[in-house]
Amino acid sequence: MVLDLLASGLIYSSIIVLGSIGLSLVYSIANFANFAHGDTMTVGAYAALVTFGAVGGLGGTVLGLPYGFFVALGVGIGMAALVAVVTEKFIYEGMDVGSIGLLITSIGIAFIYRAIIQMGFGADFTRYDIPAMRPIDALVTYGIRVTLQDVAIVASATVLVVGLHLLLQYTDLGRKMRAMADNPDLARVSGIRTDRVKLWTWIIGAGLAGAGGVFLGLFSRLTPRMGFDLLLIIFAAVILGGIGSVYGAMLGGVLIGMTTQLTPILSELGAVLPLVPDTWGIPIGIEYANAIAFVIMVAVLLVRPSGIAGEVV
Amino acid sequence: MSLRAIVDDPNAYWSGLTRAEQGVSGFIAGFVVLLLGGLFTGILAPTYFLFLVGIAGMYSLLSLGLNVQWGYTGLINFSVAAFFGIGAYGTALASASSSPVAGNLAPAVGLFVALVLAAILALLIGIPTLRLRADYLAIASIGLAEVVRIVILNEDQLTNGSAGVRGIPTFFDGWPLLDTFPQTMPSVAVSWLPSGTVVLGQSFWSALLNVVVVVSFIAVSYFVLKRAHRSPWGRVLRTIRSDEDLARALGKNTYRYKMQAFVLGSLIMALAGVFYAHLNLFVSPGDLSPITTFYVWVAVMLGGSGSNRGALFGGFVIVAIREGTRFLNAFEFIPFDVAPLRLLLIGVIIVLLMRFRPEGVLPPQRELIWPSVVDDAPEQPDSGVRDSKAGESND
Repeated sequence: MVLDLLASGLIYSSIIVLGSIGLSLVYSIANFANFAHGDTMTVGAYAALVTFGAVGGLGGTVLGLPYGFFVALGVGIGMAALVAVVTEKFIYEGMDVGSIGLLITSIGIAFIYRAIIQMGFGADFTRYDIPAMRPIDALVTYGIRVTLQDVAIVASATVLVVGLHLLLQYTDLGRKMRAMADNPDLARVSGIRTDRVKLWTWIIGAGLAGAGGVFLGLFSRLTPRMGFDLLLIIFAAVILGGIGSVYGAMLGGVLIGMTTQLTPILSELGAVLPLVPDTWGIPIGIEYANAIAFVIMVAVLLVRPSGIAGEVV
Repeated sequence: MSLRAIVDDPNAYWSGLTRAEQGVSGFIAGFVVLLLGGLFTGILAPTYFLFLVGIAGMYSLLSLGLNVQWGYTGLINFSVAAFFGIGAYGTALASASSSPVAGNLAPAVGLFVALVLAAILALLIGIPTLRLRADYLAIASIGLAEVVRIVILNEDQLTNGSAGVRGIPTFFDGWPLLDTFPQTMPSVAVSWLPSGTVVLGQSFWSALLNVVVVVSFIAVSYFVLKRAHRSPWGRVLRTIRSDEDLARALGKNTYRYKMQAFVLGSLIMALAGVFYAHLNLFVSPGDLSPITTFYVWVAVMLGGSGSNRGALFGGFVIVAIREGTRFLNAFEFIPFDVAPLRLLLIGVIIVLLMRFRPEGVLPPQRELIWPSVVDDAPEQPDSGVRDSKAGESND
């Protein structure tokens, strides 16, 4: 059972990681907590839904997913990025209300995204038109119930995260972004065009969020609330990892994703751990998985607001 | 300005208002005319009208509470729904017949229980979070509000879980005279309306009693807050809002002041929850959904952060939005689902406000001065000034 939970934790984590990287990037470079980030994920998921409905499967499949789905994934990423850039250009950019004002504005933006999606698609849940798959037989013998599609989610997320890592470490843009996250004023006086870098940050952050939204829709289902419901979990991951640190956000995403999925173990801890009686356990149910993540978040804010990987301010 | 002065010289009063105040007065007048029109033509049933007044009062009360935290002190509290919910659940669990814990106690006891629970919750949330930076406080408080909602949803043996609590008595249950007031009042038939005869029966009188409850809650809170805002205590809060370091440099223990404001605001929110429980006679975990928090935020920001009358105004606007969009449901020709329109409207209002008028429609004016000082002050000092300065001609 533990292996199975670890596997589903890994899948869930890769979705959280995609969301948390973008949130962390925007938090450090645009300097506010973007409450619309979750709904940016929803935008990506629904854009992919429309695209996939239009292009269809396009013949063959990779890892249980039709080719058309990857086209849809691309459109979802692009659409999320486009929506975020348009919002930045028309709303956030011209505002002079400080980071708290921007935070409150982003809540309004979140509601607007969600309301428009709900108008178009209704409040009910939908799924991508991809047949559900049987768990991989070779792994079932170990008690792990994972489908090929789940493997595809983890693999795609890994590709995106590695791509971002290469971008940040080895390209000019990546270096500028890191410089700006570190110290925006210093970056500016060094001749970096900070507004251009900021725009790229929005594109990358929202694009990754869009991908996360598509995978979330594939992993469970699509509803207009899906992103907003996940937002606090993503915040927990970002804060745990340390705001402003991309690698911290990745680590935080994995930790929070694993924690929420491993909650069922808590009540049977004795059976898993050595040296304690088998009947021993922390009596807390799966329904408190999210609550545990939020409590961890508050605890991190109190004890070490800079998170695991953030700099101590 | 006293009421008599207004009646004596309405024109002077009108021209003494700011443009925003004139606009708001116009809006209120138009809205009242619309409502009266609805009542006369029979579109709006009198009982439902009173229900709406009650709901508007509830939002005003929530806004007053948030105003203490955000408007006075600058605390970003995103856990309004949790305090509203704990107030509603507190009184419901104490007084409802189906309550899994106590039940069938007098609603006055329920009110007390609700306020105590809210104060405890405010301390539990406030002690860890009020030391945090502003944006962390926002995230932490919404997270803890969700924790409260999840606990209420899942602790079936304490709260009935997702089934909610039924069988809540009205607020005046067990009171002398007022308990049976709706039954003893005669049914009044109003026959002079163009829409035909409307009978004001038992439900009307009990709705009227609810309005009395909410109006008295508001009145008490409003005057307490008005006094508190002008007191030295209120001045410290405003200092904290504009510059916390300054307040600390002046030797104020800002953490304590913030905690006091947080608890006070939370108690007022719980009061709104108590009223809601006895109005709706049913509470469920859905009442704690975060959207309530953001409705109240819109109300406070719209009215003007820090302004009590703005908070009252904002509360009524929220009801106008909620009910106005519900009204649109009647039109069959609208090609999309109308329910999200409310969400859209809330979102658009937030963005437009922050973009164009972050201080709100009715920002607090002269909040640092006693109003009587302004009213009684002569336009020009009586002595010690010349009519014109040297070298300036007066013509």
